[in-house]
Amino acid sequence: MAETLIDVIQQLINGLMYGAFYALIGLGFTLFFGVMKKFNLAYGPTIMVGIYLGLIPLYVWEAPIWTVFIACVAGAVAVGFVVEFACFRFLRQGHELAPLMTTIGMLILLQEAVVIVTHALPYEYPAVFGDESWELGPFLIRPDYVAMLLTGVILVVVLYVVVNRTRFGRAMRAVAENPTVARLLGVSVNRMNTLTFALTSALGGATGFFVAISLGALQPGIASWMTIKGLVVIVIGGLGSIPGAILAGLLLGVVELQALWFLGIGYRDIFAYVLLFAFLVLRPAGLLGKAAT
Amino acid sequence: MEYYLAVLTIIGMHILLGLSVYLVAITGQISFGQQGFYAIGAYLAGIGTALWGLHLLPAMLVGMLVAGAVGFLVGFPALRVKGLYLGIATFGFGELVRLTFLNVRYTKMIDGKLVGPNGAEGFRHVSYIYDHGLTQSQYLGIIYTAVALVAVCLYILERSKLGAKFRAVEEDELAAAMVGINVTAVKVFAFTLSGLVAGLGGAMFVHYSTYIDHDMVALPLAVASVTYPMLGGLGSFWGTLLAAAFLIFLTESLRFLQEFRLILYGMLIIATMTFRPRGIIDETVMLKLRGVWRRHRSPYPGM
Repeated sequence: MAETLIDVIQQLINGLMYGAFYALIGLGFTLFFGVMKKFNLAYGPTIMVGIYLGLIPLYVWEAPIWTVFIACVAGAVAVGFVVEFACFRFLRQGHELAPLMTTIGMLILLQEAVVIVTHALPYEYPAVFGDESWELGPFLIRPDYVAMLLTGVILVVVLYVVVNRTRFGRAMRAVAENPTVARLLGVSVNRMNTLTFALTSALGGATGFFVAISLGALQPGIASWMTIKGLVVIVIGGLGSIPGAILAGLLLGVVELQALWFLGIGYRDIFAYVLLFAFLVLRPAGLLGKAAT
Repeated sequence: MEYYLAVLTIIGMHILLGLSVYLVAITGQISFGQQGFYAIGAYLAGIGTALWGLHLLPAMLVGMLVAGAVGFLVGFPALRVKGLYLGIATFGFGELVRLTFLNVRYTKMIDGKLVGPNGAEGFRHVSYIYDHGLTQSQYLGIIYTAVALVAVCLYILERSKLGAKFRAVEEDELAAAMVGINVTAVKVFAFTLSGLVAGLGGAMFVHYSTYIDHDMVALPLAVASVTYPMLGGLGSFWGTLLAAAFLIFLTESLRFLQEFRLILYGMLIIATMTFRPRGIIDETVMLKLRGVWRRHRSPYPGM
């Protein structure tokens, strides 16, 4: 009995930390939807390419690890600009789900581009925090997960400050609430869109760095995986709600790791989707959302 | 020659898959989960012929009907969400189906071979076609007969009152409800039909390839199935049909480009959605075509 309890708590700890990652991805999607009112399914690939680009300083110049971090963020932002230009800039009117398809097209394109460039070989990310877990009583804590959680907390705090306490943030919120009035008040909606892209991509790049470290080996497939998890998180958390995305990400992480530990890998994803359906059927608005689309 | 037959066979299957997405799309529901019905049709039809000894048509019927029944069941929770939410939900459904089949084991020893869905190893030896001496071109004939039947049904649907109700629901649900359309019935019916069509596609696929596993009905198939109606346009089912044929033909004929095929695929999607956001054959095209036809036929110009 005590053994099971220890397992449950261990997976709870792991789940919360792992969930920080899901929360950050969901956060990117939510921010994006909140300001631009459109979905960017190319967010996952943006992060993925950023992570790969981060490897360039390491492999080409054997530079220290913090340059990899900078390169990840910068790479993600660069890709974000490309995505914005290709997928969103020219889609003013039209079917509201047209950006869905263009970003899917971009997803296919980016994933395939990375496969070509890397010849489909997995690339290794250095294990910055070592391979050993810390021991805290009967529990094992992975240092890279802790780093992810800490980074997540820092990023969320930074984001909160930017969104709620700066002029830029105010402009962002204005555009999110009512683009027409924002324009009347002198906010350039186009510029805000581009800057939102840059902000969410930078967020993604930072997240991606820690994901890559905990995963160890990189493959292009992580783009789809991140996208799917991110979408599940925003549905559970409620569209347009930042605290909702965070809570939902943590919840998903916990559910997944408990399922993984007790039932095995075949059931981990099943439980994630069951959770998704439970929310859709019982509470379509999500945990803290305003209303279903 | 065999190669072209194979390509045409795949096109037939994908047409059915695309039409199944089309059916729900014209009621305004975007479904990324039709590959789930495809999988249900495939596995059940395979079980029908390989494990239960049914003939081809009854087995395909079983697959189709079960997929349609599941479509009916999915239609109800689908009412609660719209837009991308529904897309995510249906994708979740598709993944649940896939993961279920990943974990299912139902095998029997037949003629010394282990036949049946076997978890991650998939479902092999669905060899009804080859056991009964059907050639590839004969099976192709069967497939396209089915496609033609579905196309005829869609043609009738689009011209009927029901078809108008479908499009009314897509356009504005509240207005449709106010004119007396039973929106729930329309949407659930659309899902049921789409389940039937996709199930049929899957049932035919499994007999063609003699093999199905969970990897074949994952995200790439979901993306492909939605791409066909989105690119082809929601004006007419011909759009989906032609888009499926064109895209598969394109990816096959560009094999020499190897890895760049998918990049081209992605760019094509982006380009089409940028210049024609509602697809190539969208509603305005259909209106113009009908206008031309009417002007051509009517003795009274302008009517």
